[in-house]
Amino acid sequence: MSSPTFEVRDLHKRFGALEVLKGVSLAANDGDVISIIGASGSGKSTLLRCINMLEVPDQGEIRVAGEVIKLGNGADGKPTRPDRRQVDRMRTRLGMVFQSFNLWTHMTVLENVIEAPVHVQKRPKDECVAEAVALLDKVGIADKRDQYPVHLSGGQQQRAAIARALAMRPQVLLFDEPTSALDPELVGEVLRVIRQLALEGRTMLIVTHELNFAREVSSRAIFLHEGRVEEDGPPGEVLVAPKSERCRQFIASHY
Amino acid sequence: MDPIFMWDTLQRLLPGIPLMLQLVSLSLAVGFVLAVLVALARLSAFRPLSAAAAGYVFFFRGTPLLVQIFLIYYGLGQFPEIRDSFLWPFLRQPYWCAILAFTLNTGAYGSEIMRGGIQSVPWGQIEAARVCGMSGLLLMRRIILPIAVRQALPAYGNEMILMVKATSLASIITLMEVTGIAQKIIAETYRAVEVFVVAGSIYLLINFVLTRGVRALEWYLSPHLRDARQAAPATEAAALAH
Repeated sequence: MSSPTFEVRDLHKRFGALEVLKGVSLAANDGDVISIIGASGSGKSTLLRCINMLEVPDQGEIRVAGEVIKLGNGADGKPTRPDRRQVDRMRTRLGMVFQSFNLWTHMTVLENVIEAPVHVQKRPKDECVAEAVALLDKVGIADKRDQYPVHLSGGQQQRAAIARALAMRPQVLLFDEPTSALDPELVGEVLRVIRQLALEGRTMLIVTHELNFAREVSSRAIFLHEGRVEEDGPPGEVLVAPKSERCRQFIASHY
Repeated sequence: MDPIFMWDTLQRLLPGIPLMLQLVSLSLAVGFVLAVLVALARLSAFRPLSAAAAGYVFFFRGTPLLVQIFLIYYGLGQFPEIRDSFLWPFLRQPYWCAILAFTLNTGAYGSEIMRGGIQSVPWGQIEAARVCGMSGLLLMRRIILPIAVRQALPAYGNEMILMVKATSLASIITLMEVTGIAQKIIAETYRAVEVFVVAGSIYLLINFVLTRGVRALEWYLSPHLRDARQAAPATEAAALAH
């Protein structure tokens, strides 16, 4: 049995007195497309942000791309602090797409896409530019390569952000509510790109409120409630006829 | 107002301009580097460092530049440790004392401007860089400082103009820049108004050039704030080709 592409075990995260993640475990194999749904405050974004250590969990284990990070209280009773270089290494294997795009405003779209491959992965610039142009073409904004993000629509910016994440050649793609900040007309173009990536067999974790899209594209769905995994199963089940009452209520309120 | 006298005055004041420009450019250049370092120190998690930076900023913003110049020029020479050190050949000269005072002063004000610039870099863009594996010096160099400088530039322009005017204080420690020469002419001729009108016009002209320079730099650094590049011809041609 091959080991999972990535795995998190028993993640706990609290912000002050508020415990947001109360022991979440999750494993994904190559090619899995996992959608994570749940109400606001259920911990979906926090879970995603713990995987690439934007939030440092108080306790738990993260296994990605051969790196293992264990958090909790060490032998001396103090919380273990993750090694910065290990975290950076891990992050280069994980691509992330944010709800508010977060493109670098002082660079053109093309410069945004080649920035990390050139300066973090230290790949030759010509190779990065060629790949970036191909990626921008793939997401449908090749003609915008020399524009600045501020001149692009929301959907175009998000597609540029997806190209930027893909440029790192990541093992796993993390999407944090990729369409929540978009006008309804622009949601479709971004979902089209994500669907294509799923069909290509990429391993993806998508936090979303687009339940129809999640049902169509994911191989597995997870429902989070108050920091715990309530349901975990095939999308046809979790997103249509879930076992748990709370999940059923959530789905009903969304349609 | 005697135009001939004013023209003569202008001729006599011109030699003071190179000294003024030297004082301004050297103290602004070194002061900028100092400002960035002190701003980073202020923001550091290492308490002794941020406390030291805060103390430095507090002193040099809280005391008059005049007092700072006096303390450095007349005050430092009173310590035998300084007179015996390798710094003395510099610190006994009014020129280097002035540079030191101006640099430390602009460093303090500049560091608060840069701190504001750094803290207003949008958090999302920093996170986007972090998730690509950027951290430390690379993150600072490629993302944080470029954005911080663009945001701080208008306020820093202010500081540059203030420095140009601050150089007039160098005259109190015998440096013959524009104001120093102006005061000498007034002591000879008692015609304060005409002399200061001419001197003031020199400062005005230099500040005008400086302001235009800063505006040009702002324009150059922010293509993302200008109108969208004209991509229309390319797409029209592509559309026609279909």
